Amino acid sequence: MATIADLRKLVGETKTDPAAEMTRVLLDAGLDPMEILEEGVMSGLNDVGNRFAAKKAIVLDLVRAGVTAKACIPLIEKAFPKGEGKRNDKKIVLGTMLSQHNIGKNLVGTLLSIGGFEVVDMGEKNSPWDFYEAAESSGADMIAVSVVFAPAMEKFTELLDLLKEMKVRDRYPVIVGGAVTSEKWAAQQGADGWGAQARDGVDLARNLLGVA
Amino acid sequence: MGRLLWEAIERSTTGPIMAEEKFETELFPSVLSDLQSKYRIEWDPDEPAMIDPDLADAVFQAGKELLLEVGLYCKNTKRIVKFTQDEIEEAICSARHEVTLGQDRQAITLTPRAPGDAQHPYTFFPAGQLTTNVELYKNHALTVMQEPTCDGVIPIPLFAVGDIKNIADTPAQTLVCLTEARIMNEAATWAGKPGLFLGIPMSATTPLTLMSAFGSGLYHKNNCTLPVQILQDMRVDYDRFNLAFFAEQHGIEPWMSSSPTLYAYLTGPEQGAMEIIAHTLGMLAYSGGTLTQAMSVSVHGTYVGNDITWCNSAAALAAERNLGLPWLSFGMTGSPAGSMSDDSWYGTAIACINACISGMEGLWLAGGATGLEARFAGEIARAASRLSPKDGVEMIKKINRAEREPNPPPLPLDKLYDLKTLRPSAEFVDHYRRFTRIFRDMGLDYPTWDHG
Repeated sequence: MATIADLRKLVGETKTDPAAEMTRVLLDAGLDPMEILEEGVMSGLNDVGNRFAAKKAIVLDLVRAGVTAKACIPLIEKAFPKGEGKRNDKKIVLGTMLSQHNIGKNLVGTLLSIGGFEVVDMGEKNSPWDFYEAAESSGADMIAVSVVFAPAMEKFTELLDLLKEMKVRDRYPVIVGGAVTSEKWAAQQGADGWGAQARDGVDLARNLLGVA
Repeated sequence: MGRLLWEAIERSTTGPIMAEEKFETELFPSVLSDLQSKYRIEWDPDEPAMIDPDLADAVFQAGKELLLEVGLYCKNTKRIVKFTQDEIEEAICSARHEVTLGQDRQAITLTPRAPGDAQHPYTFFPAGQLTTNVELYKNHALTVMQEPTCDGVIPIPLFAVGDIKNIADTPAQTLVCLTEARIMNEAATWAGKPGLFLGIPMSATTPLTLMSAFGSGLYHKNNCTLPVQILQDMRVDYDRFNLAFFAEQHGIEPWMSSSPTLYAYLTGPEQGAMEIIAHTLGMLAYSGGTLTQAMSVSVHGTYVGNDITWCNSAAALAAERNLGLPWLSFGMTGSPAGSMSDDSWYGTAIACINACISGMEGLWLAGGATGLEARFAGEIARAASRLSPKDGVEMIKKINRAEREPNPPPLPLDKLYDLKTLRPSAEFVDHYRRFTRIFRDMGLDYPTWDHG
């Protein structure tokens, strides 16, 4: 019988089609989608990340693991409760700073939507100005930034400076997460919150925006 | 160069078209992996250098086939530029094996050297410092240039001149780069070495600034080279071709440079060495250069470690046996821990010994940004030149095992040198002498320029 541990292994081995098939099997068997996501897909991704840190995997493996995860996540998303009936009126601008990575960002977006927030997904390769403009034009209540590689860290700091320069820093709580970030770094930059995992984004948004 | 540059340009408009992502995630890694298996190129993580001549030849063949099979990906047109076997052989056969750098009494000629040759690898030191303070930058350069072991320098990039920041694609960068060139020329003159080789215009990041730097006359064909370096993982763009043509038209020596990133799309130092050879042959074809710089870096952010040194030595030995180009590698530019950290000085020694036993002709950015670090690097490069590859490997292993003292707080230049006389402080001299003793104890009995 298929288990979530099997899915984790397949994601860790970056076997895209078998992993997607396994996801379907687990969902059909009635397992909790959140558990499939976190213990199967995200843990498999973490395994690849740990191998990379130990020089047993390369960036290309991370890319391939991302492709595998992207094949599984939409299937899981369809199985999530939709969140209707408990929507709030808070709007969050979400995007990846500078790079084209989007797995974590998309996952945060999904969980925020499930949590009842309206998400303005800016996509990838954004500049500090893009975040500012999107927040202003959409009437956002918060900005969530995915920072996944080192050059984007400096850009995140630039974003906070830009918001101050435009005199709107108080209007937008800014949260950040991503592979190269840490709680300490985020605090040093002056971010309002940092998340280690996708679901932290929902907790941060609820706390910062006062949503029950 | 010549014909092959025009062929490359033509093929960049007619070669097979492919999405860059497919090139980098499918074609390139699969060919690389197949060739590594075919030639059985394997690294033992306990080995800091590659000294096996047969394996070096295998690395060369694998690198050559990599270029033949994969070609160069042109970012402008998304097409692949391929060369034929005959064309690559033509580029190899017509390659020059000597290059003269600098002029007049400071001119040096890099000629092929094999591992263990008495001729030492030349040492080109970092001149300047990462700073916005132009005076401090000049003083750093002077401490290095005044050393007798200084065969040439590589300027450290300037971040700004006064309030004018180094902003790419603007005249501000050109101004900063011209300031770099002016300071380098002045410092060389004040150090009594007006014809010193000044490396490459390091404050420049765009072709426009590079060309402007040469247009100024401050950098010229007798004191500087022009970077035509290939892009990561077998990629080129039209900037490379424009720079190569500019260099040829002005008689400037191209600076061919390959810096593969291990653990990004390369699984380790074996693939890094193969890629360096493929890169070099590609650059040879489109630029006709001679001077070659090859250093690997790690995606994990380090310039040190057995994987890095093995990759650099494998590529150098492969090239020494099959190409005979004047070859440089990275000489360990200090450490963030400062000029008196043991890691920095040991790292410099490893890079110098590795160059000696791998048949390199020189080291760029050798030592750190102060004169004593430069002197030490030059002395070790000279002292280790005759080491046999086997003895050199043993010495590197011994260095890797050596106990390090805790890093002292990094000291600014005015604590390391008397800036009026440009003489090192007693404390800094003691540190230098300590390392001289360490390496004498390890078996490198050599004369120094330490005259008390």
